[in-house]
Amino acid sequence: MTGKDLLQFIVAGLSSGALYALLALGFTIVYASTGVINFAQGEFYMLGGMLGVLAFDSLGIPLVFAALLAILATTAVGVLFELLAIRPRKDGDPLALIIITVGGSILIQSLTRHAVGGEELATLPSFSPGPSIGIAGVTIVRQSLWIWGITAVAVVGLTLLYRRTRFGKAMRACSIDRDGARLVGIDTARVVTASFALAAALGAIAGVVISPTVPPVFYSGASIGLKGFAAAILGGLGNPVAAVAGGLTLGLLENIASGFISSTFKDGIALVVLLGVLFVRPQGLFGGRSREKV
Amino acid sequence: MGAISRKALLAGALVVALLAVPIVGCTSDSGSSSDGGDKGGDPYKIGVVVSLTGTYSGLGDAEKKAIEMEVERINADGGVHDRDIEVVFEDDATDEAQAQSAAEKLVQQDKVLALIGASGTGQSMAMRTAAQDAGVPQISMAGGTVITSEFDPLVFQTPWSNTLVVPYLLDYLNAQGQTKIALISDTGGFAKDGVAVMESMVADYGVEVVASEVFNPGDTDMTTQLTKIKGSGADALVVWSAGKEAAIVLNNAAALDLGMPIYGSHGNARQELIDGAGAAAEGFIFPAGKVLVPASYGEGTPGYEVATSFIDRYTEKYDAAPSTFAGHAYDALYLVVEAMKRLPEDFTSEDLRAEIEKTSGFVGIGGTFTFSTTDHNGMSSSDLVLYKVENGTWTVMQ
Repeated sequence: MTGKDLLQFIVAGLSSGALYALLALGFTIVYASTGVINFAQGEFYMLGGMLGVLAFDSLGIPLVFAALLAILATTAVGVLFELLAIRPRKDGDPLALIIITVGGSILIQSLTRHAVGGEELATLPSFSPGPSIGIAGVTIVRQSLWIWGITAVAVVGLTLLYRRTRFGKAMRACSIDRDGARLVGIDTARVVTASFALAAALGAIAGVVISPTVPPVFYSGASIGLKGFAAAILGGLGNPVAAVAGGLTLGLLENIASGFISSTFKDGIALVVLLGVLFVRPQGLFGGRSREKV
Repeated sequence: MGAISRKALLAGALVVALLAVPIVGCTSDSGSSSDGGDKGGDPYKIGVVVSLTGTYSGLGDAEKKAIEMEVERINADGGVHDRDIEVVFEDDATDEAQAQSAAEKLVQQDKVLALIGASGTGQSMAMRTAAQDAGVPQISMAGGTVITSEFDPLVFQTPWSNTLVVPYLLDYLNAQGQTKIALISDTGGFAKDGVAVMESMVADYGVEVVASEVFNPGDTDMTTQLTKIKGSGADALVVWSAGKEAAIVLNNAAALDLGMPIYGSHGNARQELIDGAGAAAEGFIFPAGKVLVPASYGEGTPGYEVATSFIDRYTEKYDAAPSTFAGHAYDALYLVVEAMKRLPEDFTSEDLRAEIEKTSGFVGIGGTFTFSTTDHNGMSSSDLVLYKVENGTWTVMQ
């Protein structure tokens, strides 16, 4: 094993990790506004990829617009899901809401399977076609640059939203104390809807951006959702930076473990480290003392 | 007041919808039994377990379609002994536990005379106890060797098993002088089985495995495994996997500029692989049966007639050419139905099992089947050809 190989493992880890990070951001945002884990998050990823390919291949829409359309449509699904399934549960009982998200996940998956079929779709063309970039013997796939760029934009954008805008402050207030936020005049229902819209958009972005390599299929949300969830927990469900750090850490762990130990134990090793971290730091790697902080 | 109750109603309806969906996933639907008009006697029931959801849904979907189409045809032709064939489908969701409970349900509740299934090797093995408890024959459509090498008189298999395909490929690798190979496989039953067979046979063909890597179904990136393989000094990469992830392997390998020929298994004989890998699929070589290019049966031969007739009917009905998996389902169904026809009208599952075992020279899609009391796979390497992906489609080699 050479140093060059290690660098290649790191590049692969950061690339998978950025994908997990986008999913983890979705988990974090919904958790902040509702206090629950949204188990339908992986389905937004799946929808992003599926709708992107359908728009491009079946409707013949140019790549950029197909991708945007997929993200917008998935965002609409996220909003609808919140309005129809989450909002009617007025008391916000976390257990009930979690079960609703599990149900929503199964519903979205089944409907997609019946509408589109059981087989995987074709892949999208690369966003910027061309051979991979070689730097000092390490190969970087062009699409990885897109994944990293989008993840960076997402984390900066979300941080600015939370810190600088009125709406972001309302979201933060809502995460600290929902009743308190409502008492000072914040429309908490709107905040929850917005958080689902954002989470759906982020999931869809991840789904679209990876579909040049990974053929989308109706069941692909479950496994990636689990990775995103693990990344969010590892980061500590605290703020956007923590989610991204959790995602990248998980991706690096997986790839370095499979690079240096064995690919057989890839998921096992990542899981053991996750459990170890949670044992020492139950609030996650980057979670503050209080988990309610956004 | 009115608004509140409407919302409550909406919430209630939604909960019902959410609860109903998973149930939809497990319900069975019976193949129609009235297509052939009124016939004497009760229909003969066959239970089919396929993966309609999960990793192998692409396989199970084609299998279900092929069986539905052929049962319709058999019943329209007068059925068997003037009785209809009735097929009860169950989805195992690519899950072994669900395959087992589906098989139990079919033999206990539906009292089927024979079981066809499953799509996957692990799922097929999980069905076995149900078949044994009820003494019902089982025809698997999965390619894992264990299905027939862990021999059970009740269990038959229609795809070319790994013990048939692996030496066929190794022979070619040896002839090409590609004697150092790297393996990459998933953690599913078919791939694990293929790797085990490969490792036990390589020495006989003067081939050496210099790297063996795995990935999980659902993984999105295999760059790390391929990086190790690139540095392993291998002459060729062999992918043993039946899911959509094979396309990701090809995409990652092209991006890494792996620089060695890539071979696959009969699990990769799907158009979706070519669609998923695009240019990265060019030059990919895999062994499979002749159904992908019927001319390879030899024009005018019985195999050619059977295959082209099936392909034409399938393509007309479903607007897409059948995959090899549709062919495995066709073979499984006709092995059962032909045995039923040879038996007198009132037969038991035990009679049926014995009669299936007597199958000799049955020309199916996968090849020509001749079972014996020790061979329940029944095909030979002459039923295989090598395909190479060229210009977005597969062509027969040599």
